[in-house]
Amino acid sequence: MSDEPRDATATAAADADAEVTGGLGDRWASFRDREISTVLLTVVGVAVFPFLFNNFLDGYTQLATLMLIYGIFAVGFDILLGYTGLLSFGHAVFFGGAAYAAGIFSASVSSSPLLVLLAGTVFAVLLAWIVGFLSLRRGGIYFAILTLTFGQMSFYLAASPLAFLTNGENGFTSVDIGSLLGVIDIHGGVPFPLSMLVDNMLYVFVAVMTVLSVAMANRILHSPYGTVFRAIRENERRAEFVGLDVWRYKLMAFIISAAFAGIAGSLFAIEGNYVPLQSLYWTESGRIVIMTVLGGVGSLFGPLFGAGLYLYIENIVSGFPTLGPFWHLILGIVFVVAVVLFPNGIWGGIDYVRNMVVGGDEE
Amino acid sequence: MTVLETDQLTKQFGGLTAVDEVDLEIEQGEGVSLIGPNGAGKSTFINLVTRRLEPSYGEITFQGNSIIGMDPHEVVQMGMSKSFQTASIFPELTVMENATIAALAAEHGSFRFNFFRHQNSYPAVEEVANNVLESVGLYDERENQADSLDYGNKRRLELGIALAAEPDMLLMDEPTAGMSPDETQSTVKLIKRVKQELDLTFLLVEHDMEIVFDISDRIVVLNRGSVIAKGTPDEVQDDPAVQEAYLGGVEE
Repeated sequence: MSDEPRDATATAAADADAEVTGGLGDRWASFRDREISTVLLTVVGVAVFPFLFNNFLDGYTQLATLMLIYGIFAVGFDILLGYTGLLSFGHAVFFGGAAYAAGIFSASVSSSPLLVLLAGTVFAVLLAWIVGFLSLRRGGIYFAILTLTFGQMSFYLAASPLAFLTNGENGFTSVDIGSLLGVIDIHGGVPFPLSMLVDNMLYVFVAVMTVLSVAMANRILHSPYGTVFRAIRENERRAEFVGLDVWRYKLMAFIISAAFAGIAGSLFAIEGNYVPLQSLYWTESGRIVIMTVLGGVGSLFGPLFGAGLYLYIENIVSGFPTLGPFWHLILGIVFVVAVVLFPNGIWGGIDYVRNMVVGGDEE
Repeated sequence: MTVLETDQLTKQFGGLTAVDEVDLEIEQGEGVSLIGPNGAGKSTFINLVTRRLEPSYGEITFQGNSIIGMDPHEVVQMGMSKSFQTASIFPELTVMENATIAALAAEHGSFRFNFFRHQNSYPAVEEVANNVLESVGLYDERENQADSLDYGNKRRLELGIALAAEPDMLLMDEPTAGMSPDETQSTVKLIKRVKQELDLTFLLVEHDMEIVFDISDRIVVLNRGSVIAKGTPDEVQDDPAVQEAYLGGVEE
C-alpha cells in the first residue's frame, strides 16, 4: 500500500494544527505507524510460519499454503460477519465460484497466474453484486437463509446443468497454470536465500497475496467504511437516521468480503490445479463461519488463526494414532471451549492474555 | 420561511386512524411542541415525517419539497435530523467514533466510494466530530466506550449525533424521558443553547409539561389523531378542549 494520499490544503491544515497541539501530530504518526507495522507483522508471520510449522508442529508446506488461502477467505468474511454484523451462510458460492471461474479462465483464456487470480476475483465480485442485491433485502436469519439458498443453487447448477463447463461431479480437472510473469515456475522451488525459510514458490506467491489481502483489509477497516460498518452492526436504524445509505454500505460490505473469497478461491484453484465440486457445497460456507468465529470475529488477525487451527485439526490431528478418527469431536470441543472461555475467539484470548501481562491496551 | 408543512396528513392502521388529516406549519427558527395524551398519535406523526411510516394520504413538504417517497436517510441529508426516544447510540464504539459516524454522514453525504482512503485523510470529519463533542460537553469522554456513559450523558451524545449535521430542523421524541431532574435540567439548558446558537427549528414531543411550556414558542395539541388546539403556551393552557382531553371529559 502506498502512503496516504493527502492534498496540499489538508497538509497545511494539519501542520497548522500540529503547531497548536503538538499531541495531534504525534497521534497521527502513531496511527500511520500502526498501519505499516500491521503489514510488517504479517510479512514476518508468513515468512517464518512454514519453518515453524514444518519443524515443530508436524506440518507440511502444502497445508501451510492452504491455511493462508483459507485465512484470506476468513479475513474477508470477518469484514461482513464481525464488522458489519451480517451472517452469510452462502459464501462458498464466491469461493467455489471464483475457483471455477479461475480454472475455466486458465484452461481457455490465459494461464498467467496473475490474470487467473484477477479473473476469479472479478467473477466473485460481480456474482456478489447480484446475490447481495437480492439477499440484502432481508435481515437477520432471512438473510442467512437466502444466501444459503443461493449457495446451494450454485452447487446444483455446477453439478449438472452447467456440467459442460464445470465437468460436473468429477470437479474441474483442466486447470492450467503457467509461469508467473513468464519466468517463475509457480509450482517449482525457490532460490537460495528464500529457500532457508520456504521450499516452494507456490507458498511464496500465496504468502504475498496474503500480505496484500491483510493490508487491504486493514486499510478498509481504517477507512470511513470501517467505522460505518461497525455503526451498522451496532445500530442500523441510528446509522440510517444520521443520513447514511445503510443499504448500499451493506451491499459494499458483502461485495468486499466476496472479493476476498474470490482471491482465496482463485488461489485455491491455482494451488490444487483442480476445483472440486465440494468447494461450492454448503459445508464450505459453514467451515468459513466456524473458522472466523473460532479465530475471533471483529479482529483483523483472528480469522487467520481460526483458519489455521481448523485446518490443523482437520489435517494433522486427524492423523494422530487413536485420537485421529475423532477429529470432528476434537474440533467441536475446541470450538465450544473457545467460545465459552473466549467469546472473542483465539484473538480475543491472545488480547486478554496480553492485557494481563502488559497491563492494558486499547482495542 | 416555512420549514416543514403537512397537509391533510393521515395514517390509518386497519380501522384505526392514528393520525387524522393533520395540517401543521413550522416556520424557520421556531420551537414547536407536539403534546397530547397517550395514544394521541404523536409518535406516529413523527414517524410519518421522518419517513419511517408511509402515510395513507396527505402531503409532507420540507423546505418547499415534497418528501413523500423518499428514504429516511435522504430526508436526513436534506436537513431534518431526529433524536430518538431512547438513547439510540452505537454502544460498543467509543464516544469519538459515535460522533465520527455522524460527522461522516454530514461531510460525505449518504454514500461515498472511498474504502481505500485512510480515515486520517479527512481532517474535516474529525473536526466536526470534535465540535459535536465539545458542544454537548462530552469531549473529555471521547476515548471511552459509549456504553459506559451514564444515561444522561448517553442522551447528550444522542443529541450530539443528531446535531452533527447542523440540521435545519430537529425532531425530538421525548428527549428527557427516563432522566433524573438534574439531567432533565441540563438537557433543557442544552436544547435552549443550541436553539439559540444554531437558530435551530425544532419539533418536540414531550410529556413533561414544565419543559414544554419552558422551551416552546408554540404548542400543538393532538387528541385521537386530530389537532384540537394550537397556539402559544398561554393560549393552549387555557383552552377548554385541551383541559378536557387531559383531565378526561364527563361523557367518556
